[in-house]
Amino acid sequence: MNAGAGSALWLLKHEIRMFFFNASFGAQKKAARRGIGKGGAALWIGTFALIHVLAFILLDRIDGAGAAVAIAPPHALVMGLSGLFAAAFSLMMSSGLRASIEVLFERGDLDLLLSSPLSSRGIFSVRLAGIVVGIASIYLFFLTPFANAGLALGHYRLLGIYPVVINAATIAASLSMLFTLGLVRLLGVRRTRVVAQVIGALSGALFFLLAQAYGNAAGSVRQQVAGWFAPLLAPGAALGPDSVIWLPGQAVLGTPRPLLALSMIALAIFALTVRFTHRFFVHGVQQAVSLMRVVKASAGGPRYRFGRSLAQVIIVKEWRLIARDPQLVSQVLLQLLYMLPLVFLLLTKGGERLPGLGAALTFLCGSLTAALAWVIVSAEDAPDLLRAAPCAMRTIRRAKLIAVAMPAPALMALPLLWILTRNPLAALLLCGTVAGSVTTAAFIAMWCARPAARGDFKTRGKGNFLGKTLELLNGLAWSGLAFLLLMMSTAQQPSPSPWPLFGAAGLAVIAAAMVLFGYLSRTRDD
Amino acid sequence: MHHDAAAALKLTALSKHFGRPAVDRLDLTVRQGELYALLGPNGAGKTTTLRMVAGLLAPDSGSVEIFGIDLAANPAAAKQKIAYLPDDPMLYAKLKPTEYLEFVAGLWGIEAADAAPRAHRLLEWLDLSRHAHELTEGFSRGMKQKLALAGALIHAPQLLILDEPLTGLDAAAARQVKDLLLEHVRAGGTVVLTTHILEVAERLAQRIGIIEHGRLIAQGTLDELRRQTDGGTLEDVFLQLTGQS
Repeated sequence: MNAGAGSALWLLKHEIRMFFFNASFGAQKKAARRGIGKGGAALWIGTFALIHVLAFILLDRIDGAGAAVAIAPPHALVMGLSGLFAAAFSLMMSSGLRASIEVLFERGDLDLLLSSPLSSRGIFSVRLAGIVVGIASIYLFFLTPFANAGLALGHYRLLGIYPVVINAATIAASLSMLFTLGLVRLLGVRRTRVVAQVIGALSGALFFLLAQAYGNAAGSVRQQVAGWFAPLLAPGAALGPDSVIWLPGQAVLGTPRPLLALSMIALAIFALTVRFTHRFFVHGVQQAVSLMRVVKASAGGPRYRFGRSLAQVIIVKEWRLIARDPQLVSQVLLQLLYMLPLVFLLLTKGGERLPGLGAALTFLCGSLTAALAWVIVSAEDAPDLLRAAPCAMRTIRRAKLIAVAMPAPALMALPLLWILTRNPLAALLLCGTVAGSVTTAAFIAMWCARPAARGDFKTRGKGNFLGKTLELLNGLAWSGLAFLLLMMSTAQQPSPSPWPLFGAAGLAVIAAAMVLFGYLSRTRDD
Repeated sequence: MHHDAAAALKLTALSKHFGRPAVDRLDLTVRQGELYALLGPNGAGKTTTLRMVAGLLAPDSGSVEIFGIDLAANPAAAKQKIAYLPDDPMLYAKLKPTEYLEFVAGLWGIEAADAAPRAHRLLEWLDLSRHAHELTEGFSRGMKQKLALAGALIHAPQLLILDEPLTGLDAAAARQVKDLLLEHVRAGGTVVLTTHILEVAERLAQRIGIIEHGRLIAQGTLDELRRQTDGGTLEDVFLQLTGQS
């Protein structure tokens, strides 16, 4: 398909090409390389084929599902699919918010586009369409095999998955863009970047947290919740089978009217977003970006905090930089959000599930530390400034390690205190495994560090296979060690079997070996 | 020996190879209190030389002495006396100028009583005070360069090493930077700079060194260099000495 230069289609092709170049699925970061490498492409094609096979087997085994889909799907199935749609939609919103921030403030090609003779409405429409394609592609990858397998098995209505995903992505992209531009109007660019990233993280974790809360709630609580909803779900009630809330589930199953309604809604939201916001997108956002620099000086002139020690200035600097990086804040927040259910479980069912929870907390603390270590050690913005300073690099690294290791103990303090009041030995053991996991993760990340840009945070594992593997194995070893030690310490009677002890010793050896490998692979530049 | 101890910078047979020689047994002495311009065509080894002086690159052989202190033997003491400003400013996009100066002063261990008035004066002088509460990511190229210069001067270095300090600056900013360098020299400081703007070297430098293929091919005042060639402007002298005329 040939699109004339300067046409909307031509620009959309450019947007999609940029999306794939930036994504670099599976491609190693090498000089002058972009997009999907041959190996990456083969992997994605293989995975796509495998999902087709699995979808075919699954649908074939759901005996009678085809008839149900073709004639009148059971309401329970519609409810379940609507729930899955809602979960996927919250993730799409999360992606949409991130993408909106990226295309508005981070890609840096707006000036070029807006200075061209293309219409601003066209640019905005295409940019929004590019976000839709970006969001939809990953869901289409995983879900369309079910539509294709359904077609092969005669369930042609499952082809409704295609338009449902595209419509959902269109609605999510439009709402995300509206929300982001609204935030810019209310809060300005800098705060918008932080708030949108944080809300994106919350949106992404929302269904996970709700599912965990419901799944881990006591039976009586679940009954109570079911009791609240039962009257609402009855026929004729607000959430009854005829409610529009189940429209997405029916659309997934290819029911024509819901499918048409969803498509109309998506189209209308997209058109309205373009109509009402493209002018603000062009002028308001550009002005807001320019205004970023114009900040009111505080009364009394600049204020300084000189006189801090070397370690203090480095720690303060690192935490300022992290706190002002919206992408990092959202990533760290997301990690913390996933810790919440574990802490909740610990507080409610701590005794019986302590080994598993302790293992999970140990792993999460290690992985949080490794992520921060990458930011603080690898993604140093001015390494030459530090090397030119009259202090030993090991002193600077030590200060950086302190900055890296600070958050995990702070986060663990409350759970550990809680355990301490109930089982001091278990608290001591967990304290030891968390400290071990955090310290070794920080050292391995420091030793295996390679210079990188902060913007590459999400793809930090690429191109550093050794470092990433050592980090992962180290985290798993400490996590396993925590599990075994807590299992032994909380057992009612001492186990006659020596295997848990041998296992713990083995895992300690593995963790030590990871540290040794990390040390041996270190690069010295001081 | 006594004369050598007075040198602000002394390079002896300094060499660095990147497959081919980038700096080749370079001997160079810069006296205290002078502004020395190191000129050379692209790829001559100027930046490599300055990076070795700043302690960012280890020489393959040879030595660097800063006010008589061997950089290899006592890097902390030597670095305490110098500031290095590359052409790409070493800044943090998410820090404000005040925070950046606090950080640099912390790295050099400067007392608050010394650093605070100096920071205030530098920001005022470089016309950055009204931007003191903004993140540097929104700064223009010139503002970034000026802030980096303020960072370089916050610890009152005795030897200031600048790699292309005027690149990308507008006329007013360039004037501010040149005035600041001359003031630094008047106050007894030493400046070594590289530049492709030969007029700057001609007007500011007391002595000029010309480097090619990692070796010093000529050195002296502008008049001395003129005597080695057919004379003319520094541009004429430079092109004759580097065989590009």
